Amino acid sequence: MSHPAVEFLQVSKRFRLGENHGSLRDLVVAGARRILGGARRDEEGTFLAVDSVDFRVGSGEAVGIIGPNGAGKSTVLKLLSRILRPDSGAVRVHGRLAGLIEVGAGFHGDLTGRENIFLNGAILGMSRREIRRKFDDIVAFAGLESFLDMPVKRYSSGMYARLGFSVASHVDADVLLVDEVLSVGDAVFRLRCLDRMRRLVRGGTTLIFVTHDLEQMQSICTRTIVLSSGRVAYEGPPGDAVGHYLSAVSRTHCDRTTDLATSGHQVGSAEVFSVRFCDLSGNHLSWIAPRSSVVMDVQLRLSRFIANCILEVNLRSPSGHAVLSLNSGRDGVRFDCDTGVQHLRLRINDLPLSGGQYFWNVRAWDADTGACELDTPFRYPMVINENGRASGMISVEREWSLNSDETVGEAGLGRTLPSQIAVAPTQSDDAACEPCSAEA
Amino acid sequence: MPAVCAKSVASALSAGCELLWSLTSRDVRVRYKHSLLGIAWAVLLPFSMMLVFTFVFTRAIDARSILPVDMPYALYAYIGLVPWTFFAAGLSGCVNSLVANRNLVTKVYFPREVFPLSCVAASFLDFCIAMSVLAGLMIYFDRSGAWRAAIHPTLLFVPIIITVQVALTIGLGMLAAMANLFYRDVRQIVTVGIQLWMFVSGVVVPIPGDGSLLARLISLNPMVPIIAAYRDCIVYGRLPEALPFLYATLLSVLILVIGWIWFRRASYRFAECI
Repeated sequence: MSHPAVEFLQVSKRFRLGENHGSLRDLVVAGARRILGGARRDEEGTFLAVDSVDFRVGSGEAVGIIGPNGAGKSTVLKLLSRILRPDSGAVRVHGRLAGLIEVGAGFHGDLTGRENIFLNGAILGMSRREIRRKFDDIVAFAGLESFLDMPVKRYSSGMYARLGFSVASHVDADVLLVDEVLSVGDAVFRLRCLDRMRRLVRGGTTLIFVTHDLEQMQSICTRTIVLSSGRVAYEGPPGDAVGHYLSAVSRTHCDRTTDLATSGHQVGSAEVFSVRFCDLSGNHLSWIAPRSSVVMDVQLRLSRFIANCILEVNLRSPSGHAVLSLNSGRDGVRFDCDTGVQHLRLRINDLPLSGGQYFWNVRAWDADTGACELDTPFRYPMVINENGRASGMISVEREWSLNSDETVGEAGLGRTLPSQIAVAPTQSDDAACEPCSAEA
Repeated sequence: MPAVCAKSVASALSAGCELLWSLTSRDVRVRYKHSLLGIAWAVLLPFSMMLVFTFVFTRAIDARSILPVDMPYALYAYIGLVPWTFFAAGLSGCVNSLVANRNLVTKVYFPREVFPLSCVAASFLDFCIAMSVLAGLMIYFDRSGAWRAAIHPTLLFVPIIITVQVALTIGLGMLAAMANLFYRDVRQIVTVGIQLWMFVSGVVVPIPGDGSLLARLISLNPMVPIIAAYRDCIVYGRLPEALPFLYATLLSVLILVIGWIWFRRASYRFAECI
């Protein structure tokens, strides 16, 4: 990394949960309470949106920031652009910064496209001479030549976004912050935006890109920071970051459904504490590579002894399709379940699922009485990380070949022809884009 | 510390100059975009108020005993109403300036001073237009023979009066904008306050000159010497009374400095408190 363009040093930012005083009456009330209740630091009623986040971005680097909703991404960008001031830590930006925190922030609906280009340009720090020089480029990039004298309130949201992105991307910035702005606009425009950002990066601009679109992020960024609950969960190559992101997303999903689950779904004498995944040597996995063998570790507690217990785990895709159902009874396995904490370990070989988030549930029956002792909702996430190479539901081992030989079958593929290309199972490759590696 | 402050104010100023121009032109354009009469409202507003007050004080009730005898009342009212409208419009624009630009305050960073400053600048444009109509009004009364118009060298002093008034408006405007961001009540208070303030500033009715407590309280109002100074320099051809005007100048500068420094200090909290 060359000298840093952005330094974000142990930054924390706390927000109030409650309202600020909305009116003078509230101030009087709050003031009186403070006098009566003694001085008290209001640590409660606040939350840490950004918690000792620390990173540096080198000059000319393109860094992605991803994370589930509420992870603190936008707060980080606002801290970077000086809109917010950190409670502790330091934010340093070297050079001119332009932020696209919201496309077209500062557009005025009553003004025409032309007037808004000048207004928004000035807001983003361009001088009028600079805007005049780049005016034609801005208009051409947005593709709005015939709508320049129309008030922007009559623009479609796509036109609005195009104009906003176009103006912001023409600022000669050393550091460009882009926050989730390409979700509007059609596919063609999105590609042009990505292309434009790539060109800016090649020209030496430092890019910090916040997005939920993992493909966009991977196609531009060379390094990715995963934020989760205000902390840096991972920092490294974009391909690996995706796995961490998905597991962070499913963890927040899990947290959100917990309350709902514990209240109504306690059907029997058993409960589940956690469901974790390990590799065969027992290391905990936050995400799983396709077609690898894993051990599912379910931590249960029973409040009574069950002599003949049948356990079942079911898997659903995020869209709710049943993917897999494994029942120990059907496999001829019954358990003597003691009271207290137990670990159910289930080894699954070569799990053939393609990349994505999946959710498990756990069930238990007393085979003697037929009573259901446990039936959790589908809230235990499992993340398969395939670096976006395959879609569909399953992942298969594969080999590609192209030749003029008419033979089909083992014999045809078995010959190692020069044009044959094999795909290795995607374990931990660093090249994230191309789904093939040539084999001589 | 003062050196750092001055430096940061200066850098904020230079960086914000282009932006100030753009936001001001936005404010002006937007204000007159959908109106039939457009920029003519800059004149029509004080002019119609002048007509109203002229009617009230010379026709509806007989207030000849307190009204000035040495110039037509319409002229007296107009020359007070134009600067007053500038002050009132600037201040009430400032109060709402941060809250009205909420999406800019929370989405883009630049010196936040430009919001109140652009409000004052936009009303300054109206002021200039309305002031130029004053010449026409003076010629009209001169022609009608009721009063003799003249061009006085003291006109050169008017820019100084304007500067003092602008300083006061910006200082108060920044304080009000900031206060309104934290407590929305401020806007209502300012709206009512400006109405009351007008009647104790010698805009349409002269200030009672006796030594009563009320009169002495009113003389603390910095707008009294400012409004009086316009009449002195433009109509009477004499310099404003030194002591009251000096007092208004010092007070205005003090309010400007306090307002601006406070605004700077608090500006980092604007985005999260708005």
